[in-house]
Amino acid sequence: MKYILIFTLFLGVSLTASTISAEEKIYTSVLHALFPQKRQVRIWTDDKVKQALLKNIKGSMLVKSKKDADILFLYHTSNIKIDKPKFVGSYALLKHYKKDVIGGFYWQKGRPNLLFLKKNLVKNGLFVHGSLEKYVEDSF
Amino acid sequence: MKFIVKIYLILFVIILLSMFDLYSLIYQTESKLTKNMEDLFVQQAQEITANIAHHLHEHIHKNLYLELKKNPQLRYQIEHSLTTAVTSNYKYVYVLYRDKYGNFRYLLDGSKQDKGEFDEKFSVISPEWDVAYNTKQPTIINQKKVDILSLTFLRPFVLNGKTEAIIAIDFSVNFPKKIKKATEPMREVLIYIFIAIGLLLSLLIYQIIVNYMTKKDSFIDPLTQVYNRHFLRDFLNRMHTDRYQLVMLDIDYFKKINDHYGHDAGDYILKNVAKLIKSLIRNDDILVRFGGEEFLLFVKKDTKNSKHVVDVAQRICSTLEATEFRFNETVIKVTISAGITLHIQHYKTLNDAIKHADNMLYIAKREGRNKVIYSQSNKNLDIKEINDIKEAIENKNIFCEFQAIYEIHTNRIVKYEALVRLYTYDKRVVYPKEFLSTIAHTAVYRDMTKAVLEIVLQIIREKSVYISINLNFSDILDDAIYKMVKDEIEMQSEIAHWLTVELLEYEPLNENRIVKKCLVDLQKYGVKIAIDDFGSGYANYDVFNFIPVDIIKIDASLIRNISNSSLSYSIVKSIASLAQELNIEVIAEFVDSKEILEKLESLNIQYAQGFYLAKPRKEIKQHDNTF
Repeated sequence: MKYILIFTLFLGVSLTASTISAEEKIYTSVLHALFPQKRQVRIWTDDKVKQALLKNIKGSMLVKSKKDADILFLYHTSNIKIDKPKFVGSYALLKHYKKDVIGGFYWQKGRPNLLFLKKNLVKNGLFVHGSLEKYVEDSF
Repeated sequence: MKFIVKIYLILFVIILLSMFDLYSLIYQTESKLTKNMEDLFVQQAQEITANIAHHLHEHIHKNLYLELKKNPQLRYQIEHSLTTAVTSNYKYVYVLYRDKYGNFRYLLDGSKQDKGEFDEKFSVISPEWDVAYNTKQPTIINQKKVDILSLTFLRPFVLNGKTEAIIAIDFSVNFPKKIKKATEPMREVLIYIFIAIGLLLSLLIYQIIVNYMTKKDSFIDPLTQVYNRHFLRDFLNRMHTDRYQLVMLDIDYFKKINDHYGHDAGDYILKNVAKLIKSLIRNDDILVRFGGEEFLLFVKKDTKNSKHVVDVAQRICSTLEATEFRFNETVIKVTISAGITLHIQHYKTLNDAIKHADNMLYIAKREGRNKVIYSQSNKNLDIKEINDIKEAIENKNIFCEFQAIYEIHTNRIVKYEALVRLYTYDKRVVYPKEFLSTIAHTAVYRDMTKAVLEIVLQIIREKSVYISINLNFSDILDDAIYKMVKDEIEMQSEIAHWLTVELLEYEPLNENRIVKKCLVDLQKYGVKIAIDDFGSGYANYDVFNFIPVDIIKIDASLIRNISNSSLSYSIVKSIASLAQELNIEVIAEFVDSKEILEKLESLNIQYAQGFYLAKPRKEIKQHDNTF
């Protein structure tokens, strides 16, 4: 019975891990596409769960202060005024920060949605390289 | 053991197949239910999307995107009607258009959760969307990449021959999950049973391995590392007697090795002799330590060489003779004697075959040791093999000679003793002493006894003379022989009173009561019972207690010496007197002189038999009845 429980737990952890792993891959690609030259990208986020995920991304480092960050990953906060590239986790935040957000990634109807805003990318001196170029939007 | 394992395996396979069958039935049922449910979804989705399309056609006339963009009120109104189609199963109902970049964007969304806004980009993932857009045909997407969805139904909205949008309905995984949940307990039970069977099988395999290891250990003699008697018992039960030949080997003067060099040296010799024998035999051959310094070797038959076993035994003997064993700087030389049974299958029991090999070993020892003996007569006689004897019987190369028995005071022949003989291939006569020991304890012996009995009964029928045949006491105890004798007598019961059964080699037996019963049964047909060699060795008078004796034949050693030994004379006299009192007939054998005959007459012995009176002859002549 103990082994069955362990097996079930293992299975549960594995399945969750697979979802996280997919998201982690997307974030890795996003960071790589935005900062192809940087050896280490400093990240700040307002979500504790995502902290664990972002921490695992190769070539990234979580910072405690928004000022030290190269990019902000926002999931909840809607009053960030600091002039740093923002990447959001929902369509609502994307609309909210539409003037300076560089892009967002969120799940809708079970499908992953990724987009970058060209105007704001340019404003921040960033470009999307490689396979993610197709997700760049001219207008919002 | 193997049989039980087979049963277990068959049982396990049956259970496993049944479980798989059951599991596949559950899976099929689940698949059918899911399929039916999906069909139902598709059917309803078709109707819903058709209604939506109809509704859109009512309000849109030229360009869907532009008209909806201009009219938020219309959007709200249509979205509201879309919302009515949304249930827990029809999770999302929405309409998308494809922009000039090929991206899909929302026009309308009736979904209650994850609602998209007008013109919001939506990643559809699947290429089927483009297919539906281009072909203008409804399409079903099996959503394998999206966890929360099962199917998506797409209906292109075509206006003026151009696809303006796609009406989509996502079917949630709720219903398939419910079906899965309903069958889950059955599946779980099956999985538990699988696990239980797996555990049982593992236990069984473990048990078999443990048994095998234990059995293997218990079958090996720790000193010599060859098989022991425990193995022999097991092996004898399963061996094919026609596939092996048997050698019994015994190290010569082994006791002396123990006495002179000590038991450690004895053990060393045993160990190394066993090792040497093992090196001289094939893997198929089986070496067993039978007792102290005795080994039994089962040699796999060589189809091309029936005497292969003899070659093996001789090789062992010669190699051993040439080998020097060195124990604590002392050189010890040993030899070995071997007794062989060539045809194990000819023996009634394996013990008889081993007994024969043991007898041959005894002869080898008696003849000076370091020898291989496979038949008592193996050196200079033509008939030396059981097969040859068997063939002789089958080819009717067996016959009887009859030695007359005279009534002394009338000088008349009163009866005959039948003596068996065989012909060799060159028609030379072979006497019983040359072949009886070879066929003793074999089925061939029984066949020979039957042949003799048939010959004798035939002569009795033709000539109406009293004839005696010889049987061993052990033959009476042998069910097969006794039954055969009794059946023959029963079939010819009208002439059975002419027959006498002479019993040889009497020794006190535990089964005397059985012997007595058998003999009394024969006497009921008129058959007479005679005891042969009476007075030899021991004064075996107790025979009268157990055997219903009609006739005694006094032992030759007494008769031969009757003229020159007063002791022999006295013994014969006392036997004659006792027999007279017990009303038993007396026959004196080996009467080979007139002097002996006269002595017998003086003792009132009734009957005599011997070369002086008549030699055994092949024919019985009616007129030849006096000496």
